[in-house]
Amino acid sequence: MKFGRRAFLQIAAGAVGGTLLTPLPWKLADDSAIWSQNWSWRPSPERGEVTKAPAICTFCEGGCGLQARLVNGNRAILLEGNPANPVNEGGICPLGAAGLQFLYAPYRITQPLKQTKRRGDPSGLQPISWEEAQSELGKKLSTIRSDGKAHTVACITAARQSSMDDLLVQFFAAYGSPNLFKMPSQTDGMKTAAFLTTGSSGPFAFDLENAAYILSFGANLLDGGTAPNRAFAALRRLNKTPGQARIVQVESRCSITASKAGQWVPVNPGTEAALALGIAHLMVTGGAFDSEFVNANVFGFDDWTDAAGKKRQGFKSFITSNAFAPDETAKKTGLDAAKIRDLAKEFASQAKAVAVWGIGQPDNPNNTYHDLAFVALNALKGNLKADGLLSIAPDLPLADLPPGQKDIFAERAVEQKRLDLTKSKCPCPQNGLYGFFDALVSGPQYPIQVLMVHEANPAHSLPETKLVQSALDKVGTLVCFSSFMDETAAQADLILPNHTSLERYDDAKGIPGAPYGYYALGAPILKPLLKTKHTGEVVLALARDMAGSVAASLPWKTYEEYLKFRVDGLAKAQKGAVADKSGVVLATLKAGESPKPNFTDGADLWKKLKAGACWYDAPAGASFTKTASGKFELAVQAVQGKGAAPAEDQMFLPHFRPLMPSGKEAELPLLLVSYATPFIASGYLANPPFMNKLVPDYMLNGQDVFVDINPETAKTLGFARGDLVTLKTSQAETAVRINISPAARPGVVYIPRGLGHKAYDEYIQNKGVNANSLMEVQLDPISGNGTVWATRAQLRRA
Amino acid sequence: MSEKGHAQSGVRYGMVIDLDKCTGCGACSVACQAENNISFRPDESMKLRSITWMEIYPMNNGKDYPDYRFSYLPRPCMHCDSDHHSPCTFVCPVNATTRDENNGLVTHIYPRCIGCRYCMVACPYHARDFNWWDPTWPKQMESMLSPEVSTRMRGVVEKCTFCHHRLLKARSKAYVDGADPNKVTYTPACADACPTRAISFGNLMDASSEVGKLSKDPRAFRILEKLGTKPKVYYLSRHDWIKNLADNAIK
Amino acid sequence: MNEEKKSGSGKALGMVFFLLGFIGALVLGWVVFPNLLYSQKAQPINFSHVAHQDNDCESCHSFRPDGTYTGIPTLDKCVECHETAQGNTESEKTLVEHYIAKKIEVPWKSYSWQPDNVFFSHAPHKGQGLKCVSCHRDVSKEEKVPLVRENRITGYSISTMKMTECEECHAQKGASNNCEICHK
Repeated sequence: MKFGRRAFLQIAAGAVGGTLLTPLPWKLADDSAIWSQNWSWRPSPERGEVTKAPAICTFCEGGCGLQARLVNGNRAILLEGNPANPVNEGGICPLGAAGLQFLYAPYRITQPLKQTKRRGDPSGLQPISWEEAQSELGKKLSTIRSDGKAHTVACITAARQSSMDDLLVQFFAAYGSPNLFKMPSQTDGMKTAAFLTTGSSGPFAFDLENAAYILSFGANLLDGGTAPNRAFAALRRLNKTPGQARIVQVESRCSITASKAGQWVPVNPGTEAALALGIAHLMVTGGAFDSEFVNANVFGFDDWTDAAGKKRQGFKSFITSNAFAPDETAKKTGLDAAKIRDLAKEFASQAKAVAVWGIGQPDNPNNTYHDLAFVALNALKGNLKADGLLSIAPDLPLADLPPGQKDIFAERAVEQKRLDLTKSKCPCPQNGLYGFFDALVSGPQYPIQVLMVHEANPAHSLPETKLVQSALDKVGTLVCFSSFMDETAAQADLILPNHTSLERYDDAKGIPGAPYGYYALGAPILKPLLKTKHTGEVVLALARDMAGSVAASLPWKTYEEYLKFRVDGLAKAQKGAVADKSGVVLATLKAGESPKPNFTDGADLWKKLKAGACWYDAPAGASFTKTASGKFELAVQAVQGKGAAPAEDQMFLPHFRPLMPSGKEAELPLLLVSYATPFIASGYLANPPFMNKLVPDYMLNGQDVFVDINPETAKTLGFARGDLVTLKTSQAETAVRINISPAARPGVVYIPRGLGHKAYDEYIQNKGVNANSLMEVQLDPISGNGTVWATRAQLRRA
Repeated sequence: MSEKGHAQSGVRYGMVIDLDKCTGCGACSVACQAENNISFRPDESMKLRSITWMEIYPMNNGKDYPDYRFSYLPRPCMHCDSDHHSPCTFVCPVNATTRDENNGLVTHIYPRCIGCRYCMVACPYHARDFNWWDPTWPKQMESMLSPEVSTRMRGVVEKCTFCHHRLLKARSKAYVDGADPNKVTYTPACADACPTRAISFGNLMDASSEVGKLSKDPRAFRILEKLGTKPKVYYLSRHDWIKNLADNAIK
Repeated sequence: MNEEKKSGSGKALGMVFFLLGFIGALVLGWVVFPNLLYSQKAQPINFSHVAHQDNDCESCHSFRPDGTYTGIPTLDKCVECHETAQGNTESEKTLVEHYIAKKIEVPWKSYSWQPDNVFFSHAPHKGQGLKCVSCHRDVSKEEKVPLVRENRITGYSISTMKMTECEECHAQKGASNNCEICHK
């Protein structure tokens, strides 16, 4: 017997036959198919119980209620609107919906870092422990303070609507520096206008909820501004109501607000106030104004006498002059005189009409005189009556911080003038951030040894980037409290990374532009993911370590304890109620008629707030007791200040006085205007990857940004769609692509905000151009606020 | 797929989007991405390669300044209710995409899909996207993935499902609560998110439901209605130019 | 050319070779292969269902209010009774000292793990009156949890139910067999 080929084949045949009678081939085929369907390298999300946790949205100042979906309590998978919250009623904006991409951002700073090489060198940023970081900053601040130089420590914060704002104010007062600034906002302008006309410290607020006719002077209602939900609600309500109820948008560009409004009034950029005054002219000359309110409550409508006994022109004789007649207004605004007449008639005849401006814009405020023109229009409508559509944002009865204690160092340093005021002489100083930058760059009266930047990215998100950068370069030590490696953090000397808002206690005190009282509390939805620390806790620890009067002024052990202290005040006031179930309608709240409290004490209120119910209260209305006349002032006596009285009468009155952009028309014949879009986050937050999908390819394509120009402008310049051209302004020169759009006004170039990042990660950086680097800032002569409206520009072939 | 076309079931889930309320903010699209584990890439400006179940289309009235107006149109899958089959389900060679005749949902089973993309060609609404690359996320963001929706793989087609996993979950709850699972209501992520409440969702066959009423509104229209695809997504607008654009492919 | 004739003994021998191959393949396919294909993995600690029979099944395996099913309970459930050791088994000691004390979830392996693209809800099945043992092993007398046998190719457990079984039962009971009923 030999084992040959035949035997082999016989065995093989048997094996084949046998195998076919076993599950082996079928099982292998089946398993291979299954294997091919499950791609092991794809992430497989961990399963488990899905729960909901309440939170508040702090990605803008809108104060929306959120709820997060969590898996097994430790993994956040979705942010939704909280249906019980009366502000957003379950809705959410794209930024909020993408909010978890900030929590899980790859560009988050994982732990404290210290620059060991030259500023801005990424390889020099070395990890240090929290103890080291805090003691480094603490020692520096203590040394400066004991040298009597506390005023050389400055801070820029974006906190306006959270209690961090008050905590920083308290800390800087006790420490002894006047140099605490906020990132600019339209609220700065609203505050100036409210202070001048009513003597109040709070900003103006608009009752959009009860208005039947909203005449918006360039307000960013629907274009991705801050706190958009009230405008969304107004849109959906006014679209339902038949007749003349509507939104009228006055703006040079056909924005989303303009397109969705019942009427779009296209004007020359920056001439919105000229139209407002033109309407006021027609209302006054036609007698179509609330004479009852004006006679009883308004100062300066008729001619008046100033403190020095000098006769002054009143608003009535000023506005009735021919300079504001329809034909003149038509020349300034580019509208037809007939259209102006129609608008004035419509606005004057509507029972519930309000003129709004500046809301929704997180960016720089307006020219004060222009804001006063919009206020005047509301005064003529009688909107400042107790139940009127324009009021002052209520002051929340949160517990006041204990009176700051000042020791000798603090007192000595606080005597020093705020750095911006060493140069500027504006009569009603507000947030002098740009004055501060100007002073730093042009040789300050005293140097800034430490600049702390809290949750802000001034190096990217402020117009006139060049100026801001030069100012940052002049600072001794730059300390950043950012959660993210943004453009400002990248050049910091010391970084103490903050928790993101979903990992910490935070609050929202009021909503910019909203007339009702509002307070919401956010508790952490999960444990901090990284070695970060609440900046509030850091500030409290710094104060504790400094001991003495600073520690005594900030006695709280934790930020949670501090917020409990504040909420306790709210409870003690026994005003307002919590919206612990859906169905609360803020629009029905009447000024002065507080809802009945449905909480007992501080602990009870804290518990309810922590469970996601917000606190709300009736609007405060407007009071004029603090003005010189005790009335609403159309002629604002407060501009008189302490110095000599202004020579011209119109310096007291709302008037049209654009702050002209620099540069010659011959060289820079066009105007550049930057615009906000709901598709791109600007400010402290960089665009999350989810939102990148929303950005149209005619706004951004690859690395190229598109500017919008009118077909007529394109024809004059000989440009076609997609052409790569050079955009030059007085500030910078850059390459952009052309998008030809009839939304653009002839002669004006529009560029989107929020692009052009150099920091962060591959999902964000090198996309387009930072509009802020091209824009110019002009200081408002009244408030010293940095204002931005347009910059002279040129487009030419690259 | 049923040979009968329409089943006798009294449920037909559908959507109504009010374009007079919609501002095109994109919250629906972002909420959809977060809910459905939709992958993203560093550069999303190539729109033909970008995966977006709820796409925001711009449209304008074609006029010059200052008569120019524009609008946005959010476009989910239309879950076409045409007789016998939807355009996409008819061409699928492997039955990866089918319509459930019990509720009208057109769904797509990823592991079954062979990536031939016939369905993408057949869909007149560009509602379907192809995974040209392996879906990847930055490591940290893998923590954001929902276990209620499976992640896809390279080489398969995906599209809006009307968040049918939410329906399945609502049905489970009905079983546990002893309620009728065939009478449950649910809302997809986009409708939940919409800050202007422009998106309504529900049973089109229930005349008393919000969508039942709104789909009969004089402002109501559907996109490319003349094709006979019978979309279950209705739009509302009072502007004729928007309605005309919705049917522009066929004169 | 080979002139060899096919003798009777040659045929028989051929048959032997054939049977050798045939039987060898059967043994390989029915006995060796399944053992090769499935790995045997022990659970991190033993769990005796018998020892927990003073409880209802529902006290650990229950529906959540949202209609989902807890499946294998999490540590919270164990802590309710085992904050400190109740008996003196090695497994309980590990549970108390390693998992509960350090708040680490016990990494139980599932015997019926379904892949990500499958949506399975216990709720409708329970609603149809199906018994647990129709799909799962009877644990009423189980003192020691069995090894988990995992398919080396697919990663599925040997007792993971496959689509054909789901479809068959759905067809028999008149339940829907639409794709999206079970896929996500």
